[in-house]
Order: sequence, then C-alpha cells, then structure tokens
Amino acid sequence: MSQFRRGLWRSALAAAAVAGFVTSAAAQMELKIMAPAAPGGGWDQTARSMQQALTQAGIAKSAQVTNVPGAGGSIGIAQLVNNSKGDGNQLMVMGYVMVGALLTNKSPVTLDQTTPIARLTTEYEAIVVPADSPIKNAKDLAAAIKADPAKVTWAGGSAGGVDHIAAALFAKAAGADPTKINYIPFSGGGEALAAILGGKVTAGISGYGEFESQVKAGKLRLIGLTSAKKTANVDVPSIKEQGIDLEIANWRAVVAPPGISADQKKALTEAMDKMAKSKEWQEILKAKGWEDAYVSGDAFAKILAEEQTRTKEVLTAVGLVKS
Amino acid sequence: MEEAFTSLAGGLAVAIQPMNLLFALIGVLLGTAVGVLPGIGPALTVALLLPITFKLDPAGSIIMFAGIYYGGMYGGSTTAILINAPGESASMATALEGNLMAKAGRGGPALATAAIGSFVAGTIATLGLTLLAPYLVDIAVSFGPEDYFALMCVAFVTVSATFGDSPIRGLTSLFIGLMLGLVGIDLLSGQTRLSFGVQALYDGVEVTTLAVGLFAVGEALYVASRRHIQEERLEAIRGSLWMTREDWKRSWKPWLRGTAYGFPIGALPAGGAEIPTFLSYATERRLTKHPEDFGKGAIEGVAGPEAANNAAAAGTLVPLLTLGLPTSATAAMLLAGFQQYNLNPGPLLFAERPEVVWGLIASLFIANGMLLVLNLPLVGLWVRLLAIPQPWLYAGILVFATMGTIAANPSPVELMMLTVFGALGFLMRRFDYPIAPVIVGLILGPIAESQLRRALSISLGDPMTLLQSPISATLLAIALLALVAPFFLKGLGRFRAVED
Amino acid sequence: MAFSSQRRIDVAGLVIALVLLLLAGLVWWDMSSLQILSPYDLGPKVMPIIVSAGLTLLAVGNAVSAFRGDLPARDSLDWKPIVLVLGALACLIALIAFGGGFMIGTALLFAATSTAFGRRAFVTDLGIGAAIAAVIYLLFVKLLTLSLPAGPLERLF
Repeated sequence: MSQFRRGLWRSALAAAAVAGFVTSAAAQMELKIMAPAAPGGGWDQTARSMQQALTQAGIAKSAQVTNVPGAGGSIGIAQLVNNSKGDGNQLMVMGYVMVGALLTNKSPVTLDQTTPIARLTTEYEAIVVPADSPIKNAKDLAAAIKADPAKVTWAGGSAGGVDHIAAALFAKAAGADPTKINYIPFSGGGEALAAILGGKVTAGISGYGEFESQVKAGKLRLIGLTSAKKTANVDVPSIKEQGIDLEIANWRAVVAPPGISADQKKALTEAMDKMAKSKEWQEILKAKGWEDAYVSGDAFAKILAEEQTRTKEVLTAVGLVKS
Repeated sequence: MEEAFTSLAGGLAVAIQPMNLLFALIGVLLGTAVGVLPGIGPALTVALLLPITFKLDPAGSIIMFAGIYYGGMYGGSTTAILINAPGESASMATALEGNLMAKAGRGGPALATAAIGSFVAGTIATLGLTLLAPYLVDIAVSFGPEDYFALMCVAFVTVSATFGDSPIRGLTSLFIGLMLGLVGIDLLSGQTRLSFGVQALYDGVEVTTLAVGLFAVGEALYVASRRHIQEERLEAIRGSLWMTREDWKRSWKPWLRGTAYGFPIGALPAGGAEIPTFLSYATERRLTKHPEDFGKGAIEGVAGPEAANNAAAAGTLVPLLTLGLPTSATAAMLLAGFQQYNLNPGPLLFAERPEVVWGLIASLFIANGMLLVLNLPLVGLWVRLLAIPQPWLYAGILVFATMGTIAANPSPVELMMLTVFGALGFLMRRFDYPIAPVIVGLILGPIAESQLRRALSISLGDPMTLLQSPISATLLAIALLALVAPFFLKGLGRFRAVED
Repeated sequence: MAFSSQRRIDVAGLVIALVLLLLAGLVWWDMSSLQILSPYDLGPKVMPIIVSAGLTLLAVGNAVSAFRGDLPARDSLDWKPIVLVLGALACLIALIAFGGGFMIGTALLFAATSTAFGRRAFVTDLGIGAAIAAVIYLLFVKLLTLSLPAGPLERLF
C-alpha cells in the first residue's frame, strides 16, 4: 500500500548521457543519480538532496534523479551493474538495508560488483521500553532475554531489516540464542510505536528519530542507542557503554557502476568530497536531522566489506540466509 | 475545551486573510490537477508538490499544503467517478457506484455529493478532533494486533455485500484477491511467496495497479468487445446537473454514517481509510430504501464512502498530533509539512506550539471549504469530459491508466501486471464475476494475516488471546452476528443486487 | 439475471474451474518450499494453505455450476478490438523495456484504442496521442521531476 512519500526538489533535466567522458572541470559533470526505491522514501530523499546540493553548489552542471523501485533495492542494483557498466557519470544511493535485502532476496548481483564511492549519513538504532516497564537499562533487558527469550517481545520493522538484525545482535551480545528471539515485524514506524506505547510488546527497536518525541515526553524509556559512545542528543549511555557489546548503524551511501576507470572514480569521489563539505549539503543535513557520517574512498570500501560479512553471519544465524 | 475553540478561531483568523485564501486556491487547483492522474494518490501528490510550498512563508505554506492535499484527494475521487480509475485504494468504493452514476448521466450529482459529503465529513471530523482527541487516543493505542484481526473479521463479513448475487462467484473473486495478496515478501518472515524468483514481484501487487487494471482497462476491453451488439451511449448529463431534493435526502444520512465509520477507524494507528469506506459501502447497501439502484448507480454508495474517506483522513490526525504517530501516507505527508518548521509532532506539540497545531487544523478547514467553492462550479466541466467521442474517451482513459502506473514505478513489469489485470477484469465481466471482492481481498487479506500472526507471536501461540481482549471479543461477536443474522432474517432479497 | 434456457454443460465454466484448481495447486506448491523461521510465528504457510484450500473448494463449486449449466448467458464476442488494445499495450511494454521510450508507445496505444472503438483515422489519432504524451511528459519531468522511461522522442525535449 502507499507508503510515506515525500521529497522532490527543483528539476534538473540531464541531456542525453554521454558515457565515459569526464572533463577535468568538475562543474561540467552531468550526473545521474539512481534512487533504487519509489519517490519519497529515504533513499529517494537522499538522492534528491544530493541533486539539490550538487547543482546549487556548482559541483555538477546537472544531476538527474531516476527511481528504480523494488525488492529493497535489488532491482536497482541489478540495473546499475548490468546496464551502466563503465558509466562515469552514474551514481546510486544505497544503504545498510540493501546489504541485508540483497542477501535475503538471493540477489544474483552483489555490492562487490559496484564501485564504492562514499558513505554520507548515519542513524543509530534505539531500544526503548514503555515508561512503566520494570526494565530500566540495557543490563535488565539482557538479563530478561537470557532468562527467557520468548517472553521478551520486540517490535520493529520488517524481517531481515536493520531493526531485526540489531535485535538479534543484542540477544547474542547478552549471551542468549539469537534464533530464539521473539521479534515481531510491523509495517511502518507508526504501527510499531503504537504497539510499544500500548504495552503490547516488551521493547521496541528502530531508528532513534522514530522514538525521539515520545522519549522526551516521558512516554517511553530509552534503554540506549547502538552507537559506540553516548551521543549528544540523548541522556542515556550507549548500549555498548552499558556493557552489552552491540554497535550498529543504519547508514546511507553512494556507489558507482562497475568497470569505471580510476580517473572516473577519482572524479566522482572528488565531487562527493566537495558536496559533503558544501554549505548547501550541511544545511540539508540539519533541516532533515541526518547525522553526517562522511567517509569516502578505501575507508568506505572497507566498511562496506565488513558490514556484508557481519550481516551475512547474523542473517544466517536467524535462518533468513542459507549458508 | 473552550480554549480549543479560541485557538481554532485564532487559526481561522489567519487562514482567511486574502493572501492565504489565494494560496489555498492555488493549492487546491494544483492538487486537483495532479491528483486526477490514476496511481498518484493524495500523498504522492503532496510529495510531488511540496517543494512549491517551501518558497512561501510558514502560514502560507501550510495552507497551500492543506489545499494540495484536499485537492489531490478530490482529484482521486473525480477519476474514480468519471473514468472508473480510482487514484488510490480509498476511493475504490467510490468508483463502484460513482462510475455507474456517471454513465447514467448522473456524474454531476455524484461529484457534488462526493464534494459536499467530503466537506461535511471533514468538518465534523475536525470538530471531533478538536473535542475528542485526548480521549480517543488512549483507546487507539490500546488496540492490539488481536483487536485489529477481529476488526478485519468484521470487515470481511460485511464486504460480502459487494459480492453480487452469487456467493460462489463472490467468494471466487475474493480468493483471487487473497491469492494476489500473498505475492511478494512476507513481512513477518522475510520469505518470498508466489514470486517465482521475479524480483519485480517481491514488493507485492500494488493496489492501484490492480484497481486501475480491473476497473478501467478491463472495462475498456469489455465495452470494445460488445460494440457490435450494443453501442454504449454515454450521456454526460441526464436530468439535473445538480443534486436534486431527492439526492440531498438520500445523501445526508450516508454522509453522517460514513463520518461515524471514518473518524474513529482512521484514528486507529493501523486503521486506514480503506476499511471504513468498505464498511460504509456495505452499510449503505443494506440500509438503502432504493436497493434496486445499487448496481445501476446509487447516490448513497458514493456519499457514504466519500464521507468515510475524508473523515478517516481527519481521524489520522488524532494519533499524529497527540502522539506524533504518522499512521498513513497522508499523516506522513502532514508530518513533512510540520518538518518544514523543524517541528516534530508528538505529545508535547499541543502544549508547546498550539498555534501551529490550530493553524494546521484551520487550514484543513479552509482548504476543504475552498475545494467545495471551486469544484462545485467545475462539476459541469468535469462531467462534459464524458461527452468526448467514445473512441477518444476510452483511448484517453487507457493512456491515463498506463501513465499513472509508469509514473509511480517506471518498470515494464508493472505495466505487464496492469495489462494482465485488464484482461482479468475483462474476463470477469464477461463471465459475470464481481470485481470489487478481488481488491477487497488484496487489501484486507495481508492485514488480517499479519495481525493474527502478530497476536499469536505475542501470546506465544495461545489463540485465547483473541477472546481475552474485550475489544477483540466484542468485534468477533459482531462479526459472528453479522454472518449468522442474514440466515435468520427473511429479508435476504434486499441484499440481492447486481454489479457489472 | 438472465439464465440460459438450455441446461447444458458450459465448457467455459469448466475451464474456469480448471484454472482455479491449477491456481490452488500453484499456491500449494509455492507454499511447500517456505520455512517457519521464528519459533513463535504461526508462519508464512498458514495463509497459503487457507487460500489453496479455498480455491480448491471454489473450483469444485464452479465446476458444479458449469455442469448444471446455470451460468449467466453470454453475448457473442468481438475479439478484434480486444486483440488491438492488448496488442498496443504489449507494444508499449516492449518499447519501454527496450528503450524506445514511452511517447511512441503511448501514441500507438491511443490510436489503437481509438480504432478499436470504431474510428477510422489512425494517423490523426497517432498525432493526437503523441501530443498528449508530450504534454504529460513535460508535466511529469519538468514540473514533478519524475523520471519517465525515455527513448529517442523524449530526448528531443
């Protein structure tokens, strides 16, 4: 059914694509950004924000956004790998969710076939409980899960998504069997939030943005974020600081097609570097409440590889991926 | 409570300034223009036009925003009535009788009752929001998965009114819909069903693709195949262009009943707008004094669902404004509107920024009124669209149907589905199977399944959870009663009706 | 509702019953490869089982109706317009799939449908269809910044 859709900024129509020819002046770049999702979702918003920042800051002459929705990005990446090979003007927005989706959907195309360019933003997961819950902190929750994983019900997003993975990792770090967690997927943040507020489940797990206003109003108790250290916007130490070894973030990034030359890769990376520093991009981040997590080049390639390995392990453990 | 009215009055005072009225007018016009494209519902319309509102001052922006939203919603109903292509799932019930009315030359009254009904429902629901939001929200949040499942049971039983006169045919249609609802990734287990490795099917069957295929494309094929027997004659206007005294008499009760379904169910976090429109349609079909009109274009069947649709939209504001829960695409769009001010709706918003909340409510009110003022005169123009020569009319309908589908998802697979559903719609018409239950099955089946599975996961497999919740137990009792009662009542003949 | 006066076996009705049975089998076969992953979830199999069983029962019900011959009467059918419209839709799909853009396909669809409804001015209608397509393209791409499948014609804009 229809989903939360929003976004869309100024139009910018690229002329016919002239592939594989990047002039030294970056401002001549005519970029194409693919959002492997329907208009309005998170990836689409990221793509359109990039379009806005890149053109307004004069980094690219134009940036055209295309939407290729379907199957958690599996269809978009297949198109990128198969149809845009060697195209130095093409980018695709992706995120951590795609790592899991490609695995569970048994996608014939993998992220290893793409050219990683840069990570842009990140959002940490938050674990919350109803305000009147006897569970006060991460230790209490860990103890409850260890005692009987069946009795601790989790509300979060779809099966195999980042919320599910984070819940499984929490159980594992708490010393419980991750295959035994009672994780209940809900469609859309609002529905899960209602179930938590109504006390139907023990705990909720999702991006902190979903819970923020409830936590501030005292209707939900924040157990912690999945960051390494306490972040400035919350009063509670991170879950890791509370002694449960869990660190996970839902990041968004851009990748390029396979087979582009070293020069093309450099040009794209430089364009992203410039965009990340631009006033326009910083303003968008602030307006949308996105946390800057810019990492480009080999450092990002390393992160991407690590995330793939870890995600595969978790999804295999919960049975969504056959090893 | 008095405070609420003072605040609302303050909001209204801002909204009726001439400049802001102009913004509302532009918003309504833009929204209607884009909303008439099938496949582009009100939420996407707002999403697409949101950037335009960025350029205005906050008050003007939120007013135009409300105008676009209502315009988009009305645009969806307009196409449902005129060309049988519902722009969104919530205007599907409107298409059932609305399009029949349009074909019978009564498109004018159909559009008018939709517009006035929306206005009435929107007004009452806004009042309800003003007065009842704090009480309703507690009930809304206490609705658990088991209660939703019970609500689905009630919905399933009642929609049998859309089955036509043969239970076997109606059930066959329903099960085709339930089967289509299985397609795609199962939300609760992450596994794919009935997708045969085709990734384009992983996200399931889009309701608007199915509805536009079955209704608009299917009908074009059917009419074309019968031209040699029976030349279909469309008269744009037969009788009065406006609602007659009789039309008013037959409309006002459905408006109120539609509102009574729409507002509370819309206020539930997983309630949505589809269920109240179906319930309203079924109720009007049962209560009507003119059962012979159902299947030929009964005004009650337009008035009720349209009111329910609009009231449900206002209902979603209850969890949004009091809890910050965006429970529908609509509410999510409103959230986007708030975020233009860096405001996050939630429990604190009413206390911290009342002027914004009441400004929004007042804007919705104004936009609703503007829509009425603007569209009633336009009814005559809309209806004359049907006077276009038949070859061009149907060619245009097909172009619109494919266009909306491509815009939402530019993939050949989506168009293939539209074509297949069109062929299915043709065959179902030819062999006299009712169309509506297919869509009902597609919408309600997956919700019923996932809510039941959630309920049983939470109770660790104990089915008694369905009876232990008082809400669920009550709703299940109602469903049972509705299922059994017709067998005891002799008035079965009243349920008989024909659908083409 | 008019019923056919002669009660004889309705072949089309039997075909429908057979199709329903095949669908039931398909749903069942698809279900058999699913797994129950969470120990608490009812699992993804229950709903397909219900649907499959329902379709089987309905196949029987429809077959009984067909044997009794009590299906509603059907008028004779003119296949030509249907083939024309479905053919045009197929062309549109093919054009989009193979990079021909949507304008040509849309123009074709408009003209073919119009022909199916009895007009004899294919070329004029092709022009009208192209004009509508161009307007829609500009509206979508320029105003709404939605990407539509582009081909040679679209690149002119």
